Formats: sequence, structure tokens, C-alpha cells
Amino acid sequence: MKRKWCNKIALVLALLASMLCLTGCWGKREVEDLSPLIGLGFDLGQKPGTYLITEQFVKPKKGDTTISADVDRTFSLEASSLREAYEMISKIAYRVPFMGSLKVIVIGEDLAKAGLMNVLDFTQRYAEFRRSMYLVLAKGKAQDILNTKMRSGTLTAMYIKNNIESGDTISTFPTVRLGHYFTVLARKSTAPIIPVIERTKSGDGGIEYKSESKEAQELRIQGAGVFRGDLLSGFLNDEETKGYMWLENQVQQRLIDTVDLDKSQINYAGQVLNSTTKYHVKTIDGTIGLEYKIKVNIAVDEVLGMKEQVSELEWVDLMQEAEQRFTKVIENECQSSFQKERELSLDFLGIGRHIEERNPAYWKTVKDQWQEKIADFPVSLDVQVTIHHSGMSDSSATTN
Amino acid sequence: MEKISTHQFMTLGAAVLMGGTFLLLASGVTEASGRDGWMTVLPGFTLAIPYGLVVLSLLVQYPHKNLLQISEILLGKWLGKSIGLIYILITGYYGGLVLAVLGDIYERSIMPLTPLWLFYLGGLLLVLYLVGSGIEVFARFSEAVFPVIVIGLVLNVLLAIPRMEQGELLPILADGIKPLFFGVLKVMPFAMEYILFLAGLATFLPTGKNELGQLRTGLWRAAFMVGILDMVVVIIQILVFGPVETIRLANGILELGKLVEISRTVSGIESLFMGVWLGALVIKISAFFFMVTWGMESVFNLKGLKWNYLVAAVFMGIALGFTRGPYMLRELAFVEDYLMFPVALIWIPILWGVSCWKKGTGVQ
Amino acid sequence: MRSWLKMIKELTLRPKGERQIRKSPSYSFDEDLNKPLSGTKVKEILSINSDVVFREFFLQGKERIPCLLAAVDGMVDKNQLDQFILKPLMVDLAGNPEMAQLTLANIVDKTLQSLLPGLEFKKISKMGEAIDAILSGDAVIFFSDSREALVFGARGWANRGVAEPITESIVKGPREGFSETLRINTSLIRRKIKHPSLRIISLKLGDLTKTDLVVTYIEKVASPDIVSEVFRRLGTIKMDGMLGNGYIEEMIEDNPYSPFPQVSFTERPDVLAGKLLEGKVGIIVDGTPIVLVVPAVLTQFLNVNEDYYQRAMVAILSRFVRYLGAFVAMLAPSIYIAVTTFHQEIIPTDLLMSISAGRQGVPFPALLEALTMLAALEILQEAGLRLPKPIGSTIGIVGALVIGDAAVKASLVSPLMVIIISLTAIASYAIPTYDLSLAVRLIRIPLMILAGVLGFFGVSVGLYVIIIHLLTLRSFGVPYLSPIAPLRIRTLLQDTFVRAPWWALKRRPQLIDVKEPQSGRKGKG
Repeated sequence: MKRKWCNKIALVLALLASMLCLTGCWGKREVEDLSPLIGLGFDLGQKPGTYLITEQFVKPKKGDTTISADVDRTFSLEASSLREAYEMISKIAYRVPFMGSLKVIVIGEDLAKAGLMNVLDFTQRYAEFRRSMYLVLAKGKAQDILNTKMRSGTLTAMYIKNNIESGDTISTFPTVRLGHYFTVLARKSTAPIIPVIERTKSGDGGIEYKSESKEAQELRIQGAGVFRGDLLSGFLNDEETKGYMWLENQVQQRLIDTVDLDKSQINYAGQVLNSTTKYHVKTIDGTIGLEYKIKVNIAVDEVLGMKEQVSELEWVDLMQEAEQRFTKVIENECQSSFQKERELSLDFLGIGRHIEERNPAYWKTVKDQWQEKIADFPVSLDVQVTIHHSGMSDSSATTN
Repeated sequence: MEKISTHQFMTLGAAVLMGGTFLLLASGVTEASGRDGWMTVLPGFTLAIPYGLVVLSLLVQYPHKNLLQISEILLGKWLGKSIGLIYILITGYYGGLVLAVLGDIYERSIMPLTPLWLFYLGGLLLVLYLVGSGIEVFARFSEAVFPVIVIGLVLNVLLAIPRMEQGELLPILADGIKPLFFGVLKVMPFAMEYILFLAGLATFLPTGKNELGQLRTGLWRAAFMVGILDMVVVIIQILVFGPVETIRLANGILELGKLVEISRTVSGIESLFMGVWLGALVIKISAFFFMVTWGMESVFNLKGLKWNYLVAAVFMGIALGFTRGPYMLRELAFVEDYLMFPVALIWIPILWGVSCWKKGTGVQ
Repeated sequence: MRSWLKMIKELTLRPKGERQIRKSPSYSFDEDLNKPLSGTKVKEILSINSDVVFREFFLQGKERIPCLLAAVDGMVDKNQLDQFILKPLMVDLAGNPEMAQLTLANIVDKTLQSLLPGLEFKKISKMGEAIDAILSGDAVIFFSDSREALVFGARGWANRGVAEPITESIVKGPREGFSETLRINTSLIRRKIKHPSLRIISLKLGDLTKTDLVVTYIEKVASPDIVSEVFRRLGTIKMDGMLGNGYIEEMIEDNPYSPFPQVSFTERPDVLAGKLLEGKVGIIVDGTPIVLVVPAVLTQFLNVNEDYYQRAMVAILSRFVRYLGAFVAMLAPSIYIAVTTFHQEIIPTDLLMSISAGRQGVPFPALLEALTMLAALEILQEAGLRLPKPIGSTIGIVGALVIGDAAVKASLVSPLMVIIISLTAIASYAIPTYDLSLAVRLIRIPLMILAGVLGFFGVSVGLYVIIIHLLTLRSFGVPYLSPIAPLRIRTLLQDTFVRAPWWALKRRPQLIDVKEPQSGRKGKG
């Protein structure tokens, strides 16, 4: 017992002493030696078999009292693997690239057409990365996207990340994290989709801004790319993507108007408060099909084309009409999405998976010819819109 | 003579039964039974109950003896001793492998550049301290740490809920019940590890009539608690990753820890969870360390500090011999499935049968 | 070499059983002390000391008997001596019929039984007793060369009186605190518990100091095992001087090398009474206002008596804050080091950038930076502790300006490190017990080193070592981490992390569970 005590004390002291001497090795990195990577872009390289890898790092700049804006350091490298790129970058940057802070992976269009798997493997295997990074598909080159000089001065990758995270409020494009992409990929029957990001010059799509340079200085996420496995095989436009959002139960809040239906009538715009989509396997026209039941709650906050004040009773009728018109809008969006699915004959809506979940026995019989089946698989749509209120006014101001 | 209380029996049992199962289980059962893999976890663990009851009934007949000593009494000296030898070899080997797992998960997931032997050393230091302080302290350690492990698991699961994909658990039982059987087979060895531990622990259990009832309750409580916890862990992995990805991911629960985001700012807190998992693995390694020392004590009558150091050196040696991660994991599965599982599966019923038979003849 | 080893062993290991610590030297009068009493001899031994006064007088009984009154000036109440001894014997009783029967043979009994008023009179017959009594502040009357003498308890020295305790301040609750005088202290505790079962048993320790101490407990509430263990351990103490209860603490605690306190202290009678009612044993030592309470468990160091005076819901919050404070005080710097040097992925990117920017130009690695700051903090604390109040506040200013501001401006430390270290310092003040906060301060340093070398792996190994260490500790046979492990579900739920309302605290906390067998003190034999 006595000896044990001496032993213990000696052991602890020796360990502590040796540890003090040994600090500095064993994978230790001081924070200021790190160069946090926040954005990663992939394009095809000039040489076959190589990739153009764009890495956006962030470097803090220390002011007198406060920390001023972060400075961006973006490199593009042509390498055949990410590790090679890592090596190349380490040669020029004196700091250690740190992957743990990566926010966004931007995939170039050309690379997407050639297949993603090779570049994404590193990001899901190396321990510093996490499966919660966002994936976006660039229209054009990923390099250009990441090199965009934002007018607001924010770092491009941060801008994309914030844009995606605030996307819930408009729900016009899907949020795809790396992990989600892999999970969908593993389902086999479902085609993964990734939202599309593009540069907008002043004047593009009705947006104008003041800019000194001729380069585009804003980015916009709109639409999505559909993949066959890891190969890009088509794009969804804005409307089709919106349809996808309804059908996949991903709409949280939406801004919606009925103007496109018929300009002459009274039109409404409003905010979708929430929406739920339910799926039922049902016999449609004699064969088994899938029925979507979408329930939407809307608050009307814009009424267009009203010329005079109406009574309370009339207003009730008007709102009922508004419900129908909103229903029509949503149905149109969904239908265009169905249309696209048939056109591409790719099941990005996950219809096969819904069938499998609800009727596994039937799924087994169609599983093998699913590619062919999608083209004319029967679906039906049941949209129910409820208008909660019409804002602070139950009528409109009169114009004389 | 050291003794442990009935509550400690439960938490100690649960902690040993749990060990590091939550790290590896999901991949195995999902591979065997697909999307329904989670259903196999609980039945697999409940196998510990009948076997545990058999051990407890032997305990009643031979109080304060472990099963190795009982085998010597029932099966004769040499047969008993050779069983003891097998027991020592298997548990020693497996203990070393679990130590290697500890190093492997740390190196793989959060500290890739730290030398492996440091993890082994840190783990062994804790194990030696625990073993040196005796079974009572070990029991109290598991009593204090097991709730923390449970909280860690539950937190990990709860925080991962926002990352859930739609309906990954459906359809339930699409391929019928048959694949479940293979999943159960995957889980059963873990229950058997626990039974082997119980075989050695028997010496320290209270044998009063009241306490025996409490031990039985403790037994099934431990099995169900661990079964349900592990089941939840498997469910959440299938829900977040989908079955195919669950099979592919090396340590799903660690990946889950990385995914966790607290209000979109603090993320990747797996290194915090790793501290808790370390406790779980230390309990498991200590349990096997204890098993080796009990075996050596009852077979060769060797005990004392220097033999502890020897066992520690052997553990370290085995762990250092398995620095190839995938190879080590295969070996681990091999020991579980083809050594520990059959040994416990056969040895315990034989002992019970012989003791019943002896009792029968003794009465006549 | 061998003698070196022996010396190291003697320095590091506490002897088991009885062992004299710092033996007192032998004196020429040592032998006399056990001899029968003699007034002249006592005078011979003591008269060289100027503070001992002797008053010789005669009693006129059947014969003329020379008497000698001896006492220490300043320790006796002179008025009492005049009033209850000298005045009756020399003035009032002259001519009393009883006086006429006095002879040398019966004088002691006679005076004790019928001549002298006063409560505290006692007969003694040994030299040693007489000398102890005089030096403890009693007065002794010797009668000629009689073998017996009378002790008169007339202790009356300057004392501090009952004042508000300094170390344990309280917002809502009684204000009185123990003082340096043993009798006052026992009276304070007796006033709280007016039941015959409150035992106050006195002992004497220290060959030279002869310090009085009492062991107090409530019969049938305190476990007899613990009580007898306390007496056994106190019995093994043999030392020449005993000036404070720290001496006793180290001699009786189970594990002298643990940084954690295994004996609790209090300055407040209400706290002691509360502890006694829970079944604990108090040791009150004369000459110090601080009372030892055993056995102690870890969680009680984080609970204060005020919890019981506050409303339950509020008490739960303040307990939670204290536990949080303890964790922060222990772990904040090591988590900071581990996170910034190993696990940067935890840090949100914005924070990562600001830490990184803050550390630009700081020449030291995070570990060294933290250790330096901590050293500065410890020095500040230690320096401020014993300074007189007016100077003490300068320390604060200098510390805040120099360490906090100038060091950051000079890029010696990063601003975040200053925040972390000050947070740690503040959190450690949230620990109500000074002893525990010292322990926390101590274990913080190895944890930081582990964090700097091995990141969270090191921290968790360190924490588990601490947990195992706590689990091996016992305080007078009670496991130190009880009621967490071994689990006492009732105690845990009603009065550990939370405090249940009073009506729910139906049972006393179980200190020793009958079900958990006591296997001696593991690792002590």
C-alpha cells in the first residue's frame, strides 16, 4: 500500500512533466495558424482527368479595436484529386487549410454532367467535413460563382450559405445538404436534385442595380438541376421547382400571387403560412397511382384590380374565389413539375419511394421497370387552400 | 470480501452490456436485416435474460463462487481449468481488441494526427486505476457514468432529429420476418459477452433471498434498457442516413454527432460526445480486464499488482498489433461471433444441466 | 540512499495508529506531575512565570491553616475570586460555627461542602491536575501540605463575544457565529438543540498546549459507527501542540493526499445544528471559531444552509448556479484550450475568425498563454487575500488595469483569454466552500495541461481520473460521492442537486446504507 502511493504520485508527476515537454506535437494546431475554408467549387479541368478546384478561404483582419471585415482569399487549382489541391495550396499559403468550417460546395455545370462522385468522395470521407454542408449547382463555372465580387462585400460562400438558410421564408428552391444528397442517392429509385445558383448582371431578370464594373455582382438561387445518379441530366425552371417544393412537402413559407392566371380579373397575392402534403396510394383510372393531398394556409396581403369598396358579405365571397385561384396556381405549379418528371423520365419527385413506403408489395412488382413506368405513372392532385385573413383591411379603398 | 449492491448490479450490467455497442451496432444489423434492422436489437439483447437467470440460479447453489470455480467443482478439475484457460484467452484477446477500437474511433473521427498509443495509454491508465481500486469502485463508477452515457445518447439522438429524412423507416417488414433473424444473430454475441462477465462477477453478488429477486429485476431492466437505447440509436441512424448509408458509414453515431447543429451556430460537437463514449469503452475494457484477472485468480491463483501490469501490457500489445482499422474490426466481429458467442452459448447450459443432474442424484 | 528513502516515506505517508508528532522535551518536573499534590511544589514550578499569581492567607479553624490561592493573572475573573473565595473565607466566615471544626484533615471536604458558595468547585489530588487547572484559567486553593486541593472554575478572560461570522455570510438567516471560546460555542449549540440526546463530550489534546475540544452529536441520530470512529481517530492523535482544527483535520481525514476536503467546516451554530440533525458529528476546538463536521460528502460542499431558509424553488436555482459555477471554474480554461488548439470545428465560423484575429501577434501558444494568465490570477488572489482592506482594493485596480487591459493592448494575451480567465475566477467564487474552491483551483491546472496536449481526449481522461479518485474516497466510512454513487435515490432527489420543499424532506439523509456493505477503507490497509 505504501509503495503504491509513492508509485502513483511518481507516475502522475512523471506524466505531467513529460506532457509539458511534449506539447506542440500530436496534431495540435493553434487557431491563428488555420486558414478556414468556407467555400469549395468543382469544375472540370483543362486536362482530362483533372478538376479545377476553387477554394475560398477566409482571413481575419485585425483592426485597432474591433475586428474588421474578413478578407477573402480564393484560389483555383487544377489537380486530379483534392489531396493534390490541398498540397498545392499549402505550398503557397503559409497557413494550414481547415476544412471544418466549410459551408458550401458549388458544383460546376460541366463537372455535374461528367459525374460528381469522384470529387464528393473526399468531402464525405475526410473527418473534418460534415454531412451538413450545402450543395449548390452553378450555372456555368463554379469558379466564376466563387470569384464573384459581391457588392455587399460579404464573402461569396457566406453569402450563399445565408441565402440558402433564409430560403425557408420563400421556399422556392430545395435545401440540399451533402448528407441529404447521399441519402437520396442511396434510395436508387429517386433522382437527386440540387438547387441552381447563377450570377445576375444588372438588368437580368428585371433586377437592376448600380454597379461600376461590368461583371455580375449578385448571385441568385433559382431552379434546380436533376441528376441521374451523379450525372446532371436536366434543369428545372422556377415553376417546376416550386411544384417540387409543394409535392415534396418542403414549403414552409411562400410568397404567392395569382396574377399569372388571368390579368383581367381581380388578383390576389399573399403569404403561405404553412403547408402540408400527404400521400395516398390509390387506384386512379384502374391502375394503382399516387394521390397528393396538399393543404395550404394563406394570408392574403395584396389585392389587385379592385376598384370599389365591397360589403362584408361580398368580401367573404371574394375570399372564397381567392382560395380557388390560389388552388389553381398551386395546381399549375405541381402539374408543370409532373410534366417535367415525365419528360425527363426521372423520378426526382420520389414517387417510387412513396409507393414503396405505402405499398411495398406493389412496389416490388414495378421496381425493375420503374424507369419506364415513370413516364405514365398515374398521379392525382388534391389541393386545399384556406385563407386565414386578408390583413388589416377587409375590403379595398375606393377609387373614384 | 468486496460486494456490490443490487442497484449497482443493474447499472454495472447495463454499462457492460452496452459498452460500445452503439458505435458499431447500427451498421451490422442494418446490413443483416435492412430497413427493419432496428427491430432486431431488443430481441437480441433480451437473450441475456434467460442466460442471466441461469447464472443467478447457479449462484444460489454455490454462493460466492464464480462460474469458473463452479465448473471445477461440477466438471472436474482439469475440465474446469481448461474452461478457465479458454475464458482467460478469449476475454484477454477481446479486451485488447476493444482497446484498439478506442484508439481507432478517436483517430478516425476527431484526432487523426495523435499517435494511437496515446489513446491506448490514456484508456489503460483509467482501466488500471479502476481495476486497482477494486470491483466496488468499478461498480460505483458505472453507477455514476452510465447515466451520463444515457444522457449523451439521448441528447445525440434528440439533436439529430432536425436532420431526419422523410419516412426512411417505411415500409415496415417489406421483406417479411426472415431477415430479422440474421439481425438478431448479430446482436446476440453482445448479450453473451455480458453473460461471460456475469460468470465472473458472481463472486461479488449478494445472495440473500430478497436480493436475489432484486438481482433478477436488475437483470431484465438492464437488458431492456440497453436494448431500447441501442434500438433508438439504430432508428435515428436509419431515419437520418437511410438504410444504405447506415451500412456504409463506419461509425454512424459519430457522424450523427458531427451533423448536430445547435441553433445553426455551434456544430460538430462530436468531440464532446466522444468524451462520454470514452467512458463507455473504458467500462467495457475494465470489465474484460476484470474477467481476465478473475480467471487468472481462480485458475492459476495469480493475483496482485504485478499481474495487473502484465495483463495491461498484454492488452497494449494486442491493441498495438491491430493498428489496421478494418482488419481489427473484422477480428473483433470474429471473436464476438465465433468465440465468445458459442462458448457462452454452450458452457452455461452445460453447467446448469450438470448441476441439476447432480442435485437430482444427490437427493436420491 | 536508504535513509533518504526512509525520509521521503516519512514525509509522504501518514502513520497508521498512534504516533507522537513533535514530541515535547522532557522537563525536570515531569516526574512530579504524577505525584501527590503539594502546594509548595506547585509554587516552585510555576512561580518563575510572572503571570501566575499566588495569594497566601490563613484560615483560623480549630488550628491555624496556611492556604495558598494560585491563578493566572488575566485568565481568571478576579472579582469572582474576591467575592466567592477570599471574602467568605477571610471575612464572612470568621466566627462561623463550622469554622471552629476545621482541621487540616477535613478542611477540603468541609470547605467544599459547606463553606464556599459557587457552582464550579472540584476536588483534585494530583500535581498535574493542579497545574493544568491553573494554566487553563481556573483558580486552585491549596491547604498547607494537604494532599488535596480545590479547583474553582472562575475563568474569565477577554473574549470576542458572539459576532457575525466573516467567512460564511448569509442573506436570510441567523447572524450569530462561533467565537474562540469553547464554552460559548457549546452554549450556542445547546441553545439550538435543547434535548438531552445532544451529546457534548470533552477531550484534551496537545502535550504542551492542552487544548480543550468537544465532540458533539445527537445520540440515535448519528450512526454509532461514525461516532466511535471519530473517538478512535481522535485518540490516535499525539502531538505537542494543537493550535487549530487544521491539525485535527489532517490527522483524522481518510485520504490526506486528496485535494478534496473530506471534513467540512462551519462558523455558524445554525449550520452545525443542521448537520448534527442530519446525523453528523461536530468537533469544536477551543481557541478557534471554526467547527469541524464529519463525515463530509462532495455535494454538501456546494450546498449552503441558506438553501433551507429560502423558498424551495429559489433554492433550486441558486444550487444550480453553484454547480454550474463549479463546472465552469474547473473546466472553462481547459475547454477553451482544447477547442482552440484541437477541435476548432466546434467553434462557429464567426467566432473562429474573431478568436483568430484576437490571437494575431500573441507570441505564446494558447496553453502557455492560459497558464501565464492563470498564474497571474492566482498571484493576485493570494496577494489580495491577506492585505489590509485599503491596500486590497489597489490590487484589484492594478490587476484589472495591468492584466486586463495593458496585456491585451500589448498583444501579450488575446482578449478572449482574458474573458475566459476572469470568468473562471468569478465562477470559482460561486463555490460556497473555500476548501472546495481551492481543490477546484488545483485540479484546473493539470486539466489545462492535458487539454493543451491531448485536447478533449486529455480532458476526458483527466475528468475520469478525478471521478475515479472521488469514488475511491471515503469520509469516515461514507463514500464521498454518495448519494450519486452509491446511489441513494431519495437523498439524491430530495436534497442534492435540488432541494425539495420542507414537507417533502421526511427522512433524514442516509449517510451509510445498510445495504452497501462496508469493506473497510479500501486502499488504506
